[in-house]
Amino acid sequence: MVIAALVSFAILLVAWILAPEQPTATVQEVPLPETQPLAA
Amino acid sequence: MAEINSGDTAWILMSAALVMLMTPGLALFYGGLVRRKNVLSTIMHSFFILGLVSVTWVLWGYTLAFGPDTGLGIIGGLDWLALEGVTGEPSDVYATTIPHLAFMAFQMMFAIITPALITGAFAERKRFKAFVLFAVAWSTLVYAPIAHWVWSPDGWLFGLGVLDFAGGTVVHLSSGIAALVAALFIGRRTGLIQPATEPHDVPMTVLGAGLLWFGWFGFNAGSAVAANGLAANAFVTTNTAAAMAAITWVTISWLHKGTPSVLGAAIGAVAGLVAITPAAGFVTPAASVVIGLGVGLVCYGAAQLRLRARVDDALDVFAVHGVGGAFGALATGVFATAAVGGVDGLLAGNAGQLVTQVIGVVVVGAYSAVATAGILFLVNLVVPIRVAGPDEEQGLDLAQHGEVAYQV
Repeated sequence: MVIAALVSFAILLVAWILAPEQPTATVQEVPLPETQPLAA
Repeated sequence: MAEINSGDTAWILMSAALVMLMTPGLALFYGGLVRRKNVLSTIMHSFFILGLVSVTWVLWGYTLAFGPDTGLGIIGGLDWLALEGVTGEPSDVYATTIPHLAFMAFQMMFAIITPALITGAFAERKRFKAFVLFAVAWSTLVYAPIAHWVWSPDGWLFGLGVLDFAGGTVVHLSSGIAALVAALFIGRRTGLIQPATEPHDVPMTVLGAGLLWFGWFGFNAGSAVAANGLAANAFVTTNTAAAMAAITWVTISWLHKGTPSVLGAAIGAVAGLVAITPAAGFVTPAASVVIGLGVGLVCYGAAQLRLRARVDDALDVFAVHGVGGAFGALATGVFATAAVGGVDGLLAGNAGQLVTQVIGVVVVGAYSAVATAGILFLVNLVVPIRVAGPDEEQGLDLAQHGEVAYQV
């Protein structure tokens, strides 16, 4: 089980090294709601 | 084998939870200090380390730091790899009235927050991938050995008689020095006229400081590893030093800049907490007042010098944790009294203790500096530590994490 635990972490370590440097999905801009004039 | 004491066990488990809360508190403390385009990346450093070091500590960190010594007092062996043999029964060596797993968990929270402290130095410009590799290497190659030297009964600095109740050298000096090295290595942020920026959210920073202060009761009073009078002494000295340093920092900034700074109160409190950390179980409450005053003055001065030196330790980790940790370690050698922790310091006629503390500060500081520089150099060969210029300009939240903190 010790070996399995170490291997589990090693998998993540390799993944971090190989992971992309930039976002691969575009970030969706959320439009701001229109401001409403205050009621008189 | 000693019997488990339920009171001690409850207190240490509670203290571990208190110390755990410090790392999210640190995330808020640092997060408020940076510009709004980098708040998520700054918070992420601390939060990711909470996960990362929790795992590495269980796998190999604990056994390297606290495992049976390999022979020279330098590092623990691999006997407790992945916590093999660390059970619900008490250890023969550490905190013999609580489950060994409880002691391990308490120490784990210290191991988590220490590399998180460093992240303030390279805020707003460090590549996340490089940060991850650095955090794994630093907690393994710097934190674990230093913890072994100072806190293992077989550690060579422990053998010399260096006093560090809760981590003035192990946690704060080591991370503060590492922060200075990291800031010099990575260089100043692009486009800053001065190596200081206006915090984007002071209330967030004050909330973070409050959580740190709260969690520090577990950090210091928990380091008695028992629910007893020593824990109560550490609790009181911790609160007193933090309070004194907070009001001292505010007073100095008021005299220096004309206004009593809210941010100064938060940073001053943290400086006081740092300085009392090595001393909390060795000095009296009265001494903690003096220590709080002293560290407020010294760390404020260090922060001003850092600005003049134009070193972009973005969130003053060195000035607060490096200088504050060293100050606290030396103050322990001055103010320690056998009536509290069983060891006298300079004022009680034991000048040798101050000399021992100086040795501890120099050794830990030098090792952290050299090892941190080596780790940064090697990580930089694998992954550039600094983000590209346009990413820094855009902000790391979007460039590195694809998220933004605020929509308004």
